Amino acid sequence: MEFSKYRFDKKFYPEKNLIEHEGKFVSLHCHHFNCGLLKGLEELKGIDGLSLFVKTTEEIYCQSFSEYLQRHQELETLDDKLQAAAEMYYAFGYGILDLSALNERGGFAKAKSSYYVTAWLAKYGRRHSPVCFFTCGFIAGILEAIFNRSLGSYKVEEINCLIMGSDCCEFKVEAV
Amino acid sequence: MPIDAQKIISIYSSAELPRDQKGIIGIFGIYAAYNYNEFFYKVVSNAIMQISKQEAEKIEDQLYQAVLDCAYYTFHGARTSMTWKQEVSPMIKTPEDEVEALVAFTNVFGIGYLEIVELVPGKKLVTRVANAYDPGRYLEEYGPQPKGRCYMFRACTASYMDLVYGPPFPRGMGTFKCEEIKCRSMGHPYCEFVATRK
Repeated sequence: MEFSKYRFDKKFYPEKNLIEHEGKFVSLHCHHFNCGLLKGLEELKGIDGLSLFVKTTEEIYCQSFSEYLQRHQELETLDDKLQAAAEMYYAFGYGILDLSALNERGGFAKAKSSYYVTAWLAKYGRRHSPVCFFTCGFIAGILEAIFNRSLGSYKVEEINCLIMGSDCCEFKVEAV
Repeated sequence: MPIDAQKIISIYSSAELPRDQKGIIGIFGIYAAYNYNEFFYKVVSNAIMQISKQEAEKIEDQLYQAVLDCAYYTFHGARTSMTWKQEVSPMIKTPEDEVEALVAFTNVFGIGYLEIVELVPGKKLVTRVANAYDPGRYLEEYGPQPKGRCYMFRACTASYMDLVYGPPFPRGMGTFKCEEIKCRSMGHPYCEFVATRK
């Protein structure tokens, strides 16, 4: 993917082992950990761990993408902002996500590839329910950032997932 | 030749991460992705603060195992890679050198700087990190914690010993256990980890 709307500039501090991106610290983790965390939350008793995972993703990416948009005022149109979000998703290593059909009311998004599908297959094999909970939270968060809406303003459901044999992952997005 | 940790950090921190045509980062036999440090802190802390002590211990054990899998396979993938054979292997003369090189390699992922405090060959490894992200956040939001919260460094410390002194890969994982004896989330000035044989 050619980055035209999103700048993934990272600064590495070798004496501290910290990676800074747009003023926030990021780190690189492998599929054993990322999927292990997701599975641990999915199996939690007492709370809905998957909802917690989605809501945390939504909160973190709403905040970070809001700050990114504030710093990059050259992103003026909805198309520009959605493309920047898709490039961010790609830059972080989560795959190819098409957000171009979304608007303030919602719509549908599609992913031709998914980190969590690849990662889950490698770690645990096939499953019979969608696995792209990260993407659901990400889409809600970036839409809330773009349209300056509060957390919880979008409901995102993965209606088709590559891990279940679909041609792509598909997300139904509704403004709440 | 002693281990040149700065050289190892420089080599791996500057390397371009390979992606497949689908944009997925695959390296050293693992699939990797970036995320905000705050994400991991929030999702784990929110979970363990809402559930029973028994459930919290269960998920902390699962996270320790997930990181142990991560570290054991990632570090083994790295040490069998061509770059390692060309650039790092010539520095390694003893098993203790290999532990030191693996610790240096860990210091490129953005999780805080890990150092060796003590290494008793084949028996014990003590490591320390002064700037792990999570414990500072626990202290800010929840106050002093009853136990260490650094499952990531705890598992990494065990994995070095598993790889270097345990049975050959992949049978060595879990040969060593690791305890966090000091943690910034408990009010200590740094986090410290002790790995010993089970």
